[in-house]
Amino acid sequence: MPDGDEVVSAADPDLVEGCRRGELSAFEELYRSHGTRMKSLAYNILGSAADAEDAVQEAFLRVYRGMAAFKGTARLSTWMYRILVNACHDIGRQRRRRRDETGLVPEEQMPPAAAHAPADAPLRVALEKALAALRPRHRDVFLLFEVEGFRHREIAEILDIAEGTSKALLFEARRELQSALGAPRGRT
Amino acid sequence: MSYTDEEISRAARGLRREWESPQLWPRIRTSLAAEAARVERRRALFRAPAGMTAAAAAAVLALALTAVLRLRPPPAGIPPAEAQRRLLSENALRDVERTEADYVRSIEALARTAEPRVEEADSPLMMSYREKLLLLDGAIAECRARIDRNRFNARLRRELLSLYQQKERTLQQVVKEDAHAL
Repeated sequence: MPDGDEVVSAADPDLVEGCRRGELSAFEELYRSHGTRMKSLAYNILGSAADAEDAVQEAFLRVYRGMAAFKGTARLSTWMYRILVNACHDIGRQRRRRRDETGLVPEEQMPPAAAHAPADAPLRVALEKALAALRPRHRDVFLLFEVEGFRHREIAEILDIAEGTSKALLFEARRELQSALGAPRGRT
Repeated sequence: MSYTDEEISRAARGLRREWESPQLWPRIRTSLAAEAARVERRRALFRAPAGMTAAAAAAVLALALTAVLRLRPPPAGIPPAEAQRRLLSENALRDVERTEADYVRSIEALARTAEPRVEEADSPLMMSYREKLLLLDGAIAECRARIDRNRFNARLRRELLSLYQQKERTLQQVVKEDAHAL
């Protein structure tokens, strides 16, 4: 469990105002701060680097369009991650629909370089497969908490759920993953 | 015995991905700039203040256009079918433009109510309305540009009225959907 600072810091008011005015430099600053994490999250939801980049682009466009309506009740960055998660689900639905219509299964598009710990490789591969079978809300909470290091308070804001719900979903996700992964070799 | 939470957490941290994508920010920047241009075009179209209700204004505009096209006798020697396509006279054109301006103001009032809801929402339905409104705005802008080159063209005026009516209906659907969602 991450113990450090929250992932999303309070946005600089000048940055928020810049985004409200539609200044591209303000959006570029947001991209520099969050682009890498956004791509990683989108990749783990969608399973494709190209789709992940499309989702990040779509999220920025939606943030730009919705900036005038941003009330500041949530932090800009959590609001942006919420939009990203929704964009990922929309893109995922579109891709599934297209796959159903065409019957073509796209090849997995791995990012050019992934930050893997070699010792964990077999478990990591099994975990990726097990995650894909989780219900979307459970998977979102697991990815945000365990992979991206968000805290429950932040996840609650991002997914628009109660903090307790985030904890409960993570608990269920872990149990389901444990069950799907089975017992490690040599341990009974 | 299954994997512990700690083992799963450790493996999960290995799922964090990082890769270079030098083209992504330029792509995002281009799409934001295109969006800014679209918004500016829409604002330019709806700068006038609100007036009568959209439905009433549409009806008045349609009547004005119909009256101009049907009630004024065609010039002698021009067949009725041809007369339908004839250019509007300067006086009739002023009537139509005045009524059209009222209609546009009324749609703008409706847009001020509906558009923030469309921009805020992330549901697929609202996104489809947003796309439709963008398409309609593009078509309206194009039609107006053609009218600017030929202000007397009645067919283009009818086409513009039809586009505005579609926009009005879409905005009303947005307001209705939003009310259902509450």
